[in-house]
Order: sequence, then C-alpha cells, then structure tokens
Amino acid sequence: MEKLEKMRNIGISAHIDSGKTTLTERILFYSGRIHAIHEVRGKDGVGATMDSMELERERGITIASAATHVEWKDHPINIIDTPGHVDFTIEVERALRVLDGAILVLCSVGGVQSQSITVDRQLKRYKVPRLAFVNKCDRTGANPYKVKDQLIDKLNLNAVLMQIPIGLEDKLEGVVDLVAMKAYYYDGDSGETIRVEEIPANLKAEADTKREEMLDAVSMFDDELMELMMEGEALPEEKIHTAIRKGTLALELVPVFMGSAYKNKGIQTLLDAVTRYLPSPSDIENIALDLDNDEAEVRTLADNSKPTVALAFKLEEGQYGQLTYLRIYQGMVKKGSDLYNTRSRKKFKVGRLIRMHADHMEDITEAGVGDIVALFGIDCASGDTFCHPDLNYSMTSMYVPAPVISLSIEPKDKKASDNMAKALNRFTKEDPTFRTYVDPESNQTIIQGMGELHLDVYVERMKREYKAEVETGMPQVAYREAISQMADFNYTHKKQTGGSGQYGRVAGFVEPLEEGEYEFVNQIKGGAIPTEYIPACDKGFKKALEKGTLIGFPIVGVKVTINDGQSHSVDSSDMAFQAAALGAFREVYSKAKPIILEPIMKVTVEGPTEFQGNIFGSINQRRGVIVSSVEDGNYSSVEAEVPLSEMFGYSTTLRSLTQGKAEFSMEFLKYGKVPAGVSETLIKEYQEKRKAEQK
Amino acid sequence: MVKAELNKRSPLRIFENSIHGGVGKGNIGVLASRKGVGKTACLVHIATDKLFRDKHVIHVSFSSRVDHIVSWYEDIFKEIAKKRDLESAVEVHDEIIKNRVIMNFNQDGIETGHVLSSVKAMINEGKFPADAIIFDGYDITRARPEDMKAIKAFAEDVNLEIWASIGLRGEEPLFDEAGIPNELKSYLDVVSVLVTLRYESDYVHLKVVKDHGEMENREMDLKLDPKTLLIAEL
Repeated sequence: MEKLEKMRNIGISAHIDSGKTTLTERILFYSGRIHAIHEVRGKDGVGATMDSMELERERGITIASAATHVEWKDHPINIIDTPGHVDFTIEVERALRVLDGAILVLCSVGGVQSQSITVDRQLKRYKVPRLAFVNKCDRTGANPYKVKDQLIDKLNLNAVLMQIPIGLEDKLEGVVDLVAMKAYYYDGDSGETIRVEEIPANLKAEADTKREEMLDAVSMFDDELMELMMEGEALPEEKIHTAIRKGTLALELVPVFMGSAYKNKGIQTLLDAVTRYLPSPSDIENIALDLDNDEAEVRTLADNSKPTVALAFKLEEGQYGQLTYLRIYQGMVKKGSDLYNTRSRKKFKVGRLIRMHADHMEDITEAGVGDIVALFGIDCASGDTFCHPDLNYSMTSMYVPAPVISLSIEPKDKKASDNMAKALNRFTKEDPTFRTYVDPESNQTIIQGMGELHLDVYVERMKREYKAEVETGMPQVAYREAISQMADFNYTHKKQTGGSGQYGRVAGFVEPLEEGEYEFVNQIKGGAIPTEYIPACDKGFKKALEKGTLIGFPIVGVKVTINDGQSHSVDSSDMAFQAAALGAFREVYSKAKPIILEPIMKVTVEGPTEFQGNIFGSINQRRGVIVSSVEDGNYSSVEAEVPLSEMFGYSTTLRSLTQGKAEFSMEFLKYGKVPAGVSETLIKEYQEKRKAEQK
Repeated sequence: MVKAELNKRSPLRIFENSIHGGVGKGNIGVLASRKGVGKTACLVHIATDKLFRDKHVIHVSFSSRVDHIVSWYEDIFKEIAKKRDLESAVEVHDEIIKNRVIMNFNQDGIETGHVLSSVKAMINEGKFPADAIIFDGYDITRARPEDMKAIKAFAEDVNLEIWASIGLRGEEPLFDEAGIPNELKSYLDVVSVLVTLRYESDYVHLKVVKDHGEMENREMDLKLDPKTLLIAEL
C-alpha cells in the first residue's frame, strides 16, 4: 500500500509547440530511463524518445499517446504523453480518463492559447488535479508572471507561483523556490547536477513578496498553517507542502512552476512537485458500472486483494503485434491469469505483460492497482473493460463525439487495397472518432473523423505504416436533413401482381423533434392496423429516414405519430406495411418543409491585434458569426461559429492573411440550418449527381 | 406572446418616449450610477430590446470576462421571455443572438483610439451591420477629456447610436442640485442623453438629467426591478 501511495499517473497536456515532448524527454533523462537527450526536431535524426511515430518525427508533434514508466525518488510515475492538437482530442480525452493528475505546460511567450483553453476544459471535465509548468523561459519575450495572470483570467484557475525565475530569456539561470526560499541552479552538460544556493540579493525582496502571496493563497487549505501564520510562528516546509497538496487535490489550487526544458532548467524541481502535490491512485475515487445490476454505480477499491477491474484505454500496433494499454482500477493483473472482456463477453488469458518505455518494453509478471501497463496480442477495442471472470463491470463510458467530416478513399492497386483494409481495421479500433464504411451506392470506401487534419493524418499513416497508397476525394461535410413543420399523411400501399397482393394503409402526422433523432408514437385505436404490423410501420419510417430526398443525407429530429390505417385479411403483411410507411414518409416529407442542417464549428482564432481586421474579414467570408473578440495588450482572440463546409483550407488562408502569426482551433458545436442560397446549390448539385449516375 | 407584440409592449418604449424617441444615430447616451446599482442590467436590457427588434448590437466591455457578459444576456432574455410568456423562445433566442457580438478589452493597456479602431474593423472588415454600440464599464476616471470627444466623433463617423455606462465614485454628494454627476460635468457637451440610477425605497429609480438639447431633472415612469433586473413600469 505504501507503494500505491507513492505511485503517480500523470499526463502532460499542452498547446502544440509549447515544448511538451522536450519536457517529457527531459523527464525520462533525469529519471534515468534514457541516457542521452534528443531534440524533437533533432538534427541527430533520432527524435525525442516519446515521439515514437515516424510521422510525428517529421512533423515535430506527438499524435498518439504513449505511456511510459519512470521512477523519481522512489516514486513510480506513469507518464501519458498526450497530443496537443484539437483535431486529435479523443486521444487526449482517453488519456485523461485514466490519469490521476496532470502537468499543464504553457509557453512563457505565448501563454494561455486557444488549445490550452481546450485542454484545460478537458482537464476540468475529468476533474484532473493539475500543476502548471511555464516552459521556454529562455525565449525572447518570456514572462511567467503574465502567464500566471492569464491562468487566472482566462482559465479561471487559482494559479499561484511556487517559484520565481532567476533571470529570463537568454539570462535564465535557474529558479527560486518560494517554499524552501532557496535558489536552484541546474549545472552540468545536461542540467543534471542541482546546486542549491542562497537567494541572490537582487531577488530577495521580490521572493519575499511572492512567498507572502503564495502563503496567503495556500494557507486557505490548512487550518494549522493558517494559525501558525497568524501567530507569526516559523512555518515548517512540510506544513506548506501539505496545504498545497490539499488545495491541488481539491482542484482549488494550481501551483505554477517554471523553467526551460530545452535549456535543462526546472525539470527536477517539477518532478519533486509531481510527487509532492499530485494525487496517488488511492486519492481518487473511480466509479464502475455493474452490468449485472442495471448498471448501478460501484466504487472501485484501490486494493490488490480484490477482483480485477481494468480499462483498455489505448491500442497500438507495435512491431510485434497489437499492444493494449491498460489502467488497473482494482485488484491485480498477473501473467497467466484469466480476464473477462465485459463488452465482447470473452474470456482470455494474460500472455505477455509489459511495462512500456516509449519504444522499449520491459516484461513483468504482475501489476497492481493503479498501475498502467500493456498486454500483447489481446483482441479488443479501446474503451473495453477487463474484469476478473466473477465480475461484470464496465468503467464509465467515455465521451465520444460524432464525426463531422468524411472523405472517400480509393486504393491505388490490389496490394494497397489489402493493406488499406488492415490499416482501417486497426485505426477504427484505436480511435472511436475515426469511422469507416463502404458507400453502397458508389461502392467507395468512406472514412469519417473530427476534422480535415484528423483524416489527413490517417491517410498519411496508411501510406507510411501500411504501405497503402490511396487516392482521396474531396472532403465531404456530414450534412443532415430535417423537417421544419408538422404535416399529415394518409398513404395506401396497394399492389396486385397475381397471387396474393400487398395492402396497407397508414395515416397520421410527422412533426419536428427538439431533442433526439427519431420517435415513433402509436395512437392506433380499435385495431385499424393490427398490432402485429405496428413494428413493421416503425421499421418502414426508420428506413425512410436513412436517406433524405433533398441531398441524400440522413434525416434527423422527426417524431412520427400514426393514428389510423387499414389492413386486408389476405393481402396485408409486414412487408406491405413497411412499404406503406416508407411511401407515407416520402409523400409527407415535402409537405413538412424539409431543411438541410450542417455542422457548425466553434472556431477560436488568435493572433496579434494588428491582424484583427483580416481575421474578422476571413470569418465573415466564411458565413461565420463572430461571437466575441477579446483583446489584451497586443494579442487578440476571436471566437466565432462557422459552418464546417467553409473551413476547408482555412489554415492556409489564415497563414497568408497574418504572415503566419495567427492560429486557430476548432471543435464541433452543433448542427445548424443551412441558409436558403446554399441549400439550393446543394440540392442542385445532388440532383445533377443523381442524373449523371442514372445515365 | 409573439415577438412583435412583446416589442410593442416593452417598457423600453416608455424609456424611448421619455428621451425624444431614443439617443439617435451619431449620439451618445450615458447611464451613470455608483457601482452595483444596475447599470449593466439596464444596458443589457436596452441591447436585448434592440436585438428583439432585429437590430445588430456590438457590446464593448472593459471589465468583465466574456462568459459573464453572455450570462447577463442569457438571464435578461430568460426573464423577459418568462414575464411575457414568449412563444418559440428557443428559436427567437437563437435567431437574435446571432446579431450580437461581444468585444472585450482590458482598459489598462489599451487606448480609447485603439478600441474604436477595433470596433471599426468589426464593422468594416467583419461586415457586422451594427445598429448600436454598448460601452459597458468604461472607466471615465481613467479616460482623458479627448477620449470622450473621440467616442462622440466615432459615433458620428459610423453614424451609430452609442450607449455607455459610467461608474461614479468618490464622496457624497455625487450629484449637484440639477442631478448632474460631478464627475461627468466636463463631458456634458458630448453626451446627448444622460440617465442616472439611484437605489431608494426598494427599487432603482431612473432619472433623466439630460435629454438632447435640454437639461432636466425628471424621474422616468420606470424603475429597475431588483428581483428580475429588468427595466419595468412603475
């Protein structure tokens, strides 16, 4: 149990380019996991260790999360490297689900940027206690104080400085620790030797002031500390640490650390903070759903002697087969023991059990509660729960957004076709927001995802990892059709083609449904339609909704009520009523004034104020609605709602409009009505396409 | 009640009638009071009334966070919709909210001229067809005399009506015998309409101090209801 209390499962969440991968690399180095430092965009061609995919190496970013295990001062720490780009947030979200704490990395120049806001919102959603690390303090324009203020203003966090910098920009030497009131310098070629000195005289007054501020904030979380302060007594360091930990765990305090991963400054002190202030698995309450008991909530127990409950949160295709990353919530996972996959209802034996270090792995025989490990060769999907065969629990389902964009892909040759199938099978298992199907009409393979970049990355991975060269079509927005008013129907399906015929009449009305996709209400009285044919009517309506007649997209938000009808003792059948319902809907659809809906994205654009006019203009040209614009100093952030169909190629446009100084992030917000003009064009295009297909 | 009826019966019609039909294009109207009396509520009600009439509003704010301002609008909308039992409230809300944009500035680091040029960029480059601009939480004590003149010139230039709230500070009395706030005396020539707010005997009184060309000291037949935070008839 003592070991469990020392264990930390942490994530490193950040805005892209804030130096997260470099920070992870340094953590691995100082904890002795790797023996040399490589840079993310390294000249030595090796790349940072966490950045395991070739593609990530080239782009200098991390896309897939990899778990790695380190030890720091007798504390086992599992680190999940999470992607920073908003297009891959499912990866971040899944990683957050299994974390107990996080380091929010911020750039000392860029500060809190749009993606930091997205990432922080995710941390809040999963109630993850966090530390902030202000990185890149060696950069020109570095200002950790400003970043701390932004954490308060923009993210509404109770951010409190735990350190102040000794020098900034190219004069960054180290940090002053406001708890120990000592100066920390990081000597040696790679900053591995820590030299602790007295605070330099010129920083003493500032350190005193900031310590006062820090103590005022943290004493709120510990009565004893508050009393000692009021009585003017000496404050033991341990007491201060306890108060900071309490505040952090309660999600009411975010301690702020700083340094420069690139210049090897501030990392070891950050690791100390991880072990001091972030929670152990036993500090966190986790809930499972008991599938044998109507999904009743059950608290998992941080106890190795209890039956096993573990969550498969990540699948990865490794060199030697499929790796399944697992977080253990209760009991132990032992090599050779049996586990039960509660989704597929299949039992399997634990073969190789692995502790992961980026690309290297270590075989182990068992792992206890709280740990993050990997299994080899298990057939499962990400999000599956593995239990002791006596249990039937499922960990709380993860939030999975629906895909908003699709792309047709065509393999270039037979070999590519086989490889593409393999790749798609893998990707859909790894990433629930990535989906694929074959369009029955065009016979094309369609992939769906959360954004242009999301799909781009998978197309690239197909090429690189699976040698599957594919041609891609134009990205296609996932439109929907809907009805806008109530309308009555009364339809008779009648066919006489010799032998027994088909007969069914259905009557009722359709109306728009505010929430949900479809609702079927049966108000038939007196057996106008015999009860046995009612499910067939429901089925017929559902079938009609699969494809609208405006532009061929699914119809959503429809409530169908049937209140009358007629049957025939010989000619009525399930098939006849299904056909009647289908016909009735086709007939009533145009009367119900159908409309087209399109995905609307919440777009945040950030950049220097001088380009604000260009940013406003670019949003306006894309049928966007500007919701707000916030200016602080020379920096401006614009939030808008823009149809996804207008966002293709926006990154290129934005770059050229702002000399590459602005950036944007977007996420799905809602479905909105397409304006009349656009709607007409879409309908015309669809009709032309159909005509062409018929020829 | 449908939207058109709601607009007809809005207490804001009384408000407008008591100031010669409104502030008017190219002019500045000011709501002044001590902090916490209800200026923002009044401003947001004035803005929401314009949105209800399909007008476009830019809400410029200096103190609050954007989400705070959004919740002001949400609350005021909900209160109005509830009070008037508005039909298809959700659709009306979604429709009118598109006509509002919020621009938030940190008055510390930003000159008034800069704020105005950003607003102009929203109108010109952003093609936002503004009908009125709301200046919420403008700190007059930090503004220079030429700043108010610049705002007036801007209102004339873009030919829009501007409503501003100004917080009054300092020792009592805040107002002279004519009801004019001492802090605003030097700006009176650029302000077309000046309404002051004062909390007294259970509700907030609205008083017209300046009505276009004329100096007045007249109570409106309206109050700010402290419960709903709406402008209401007495």
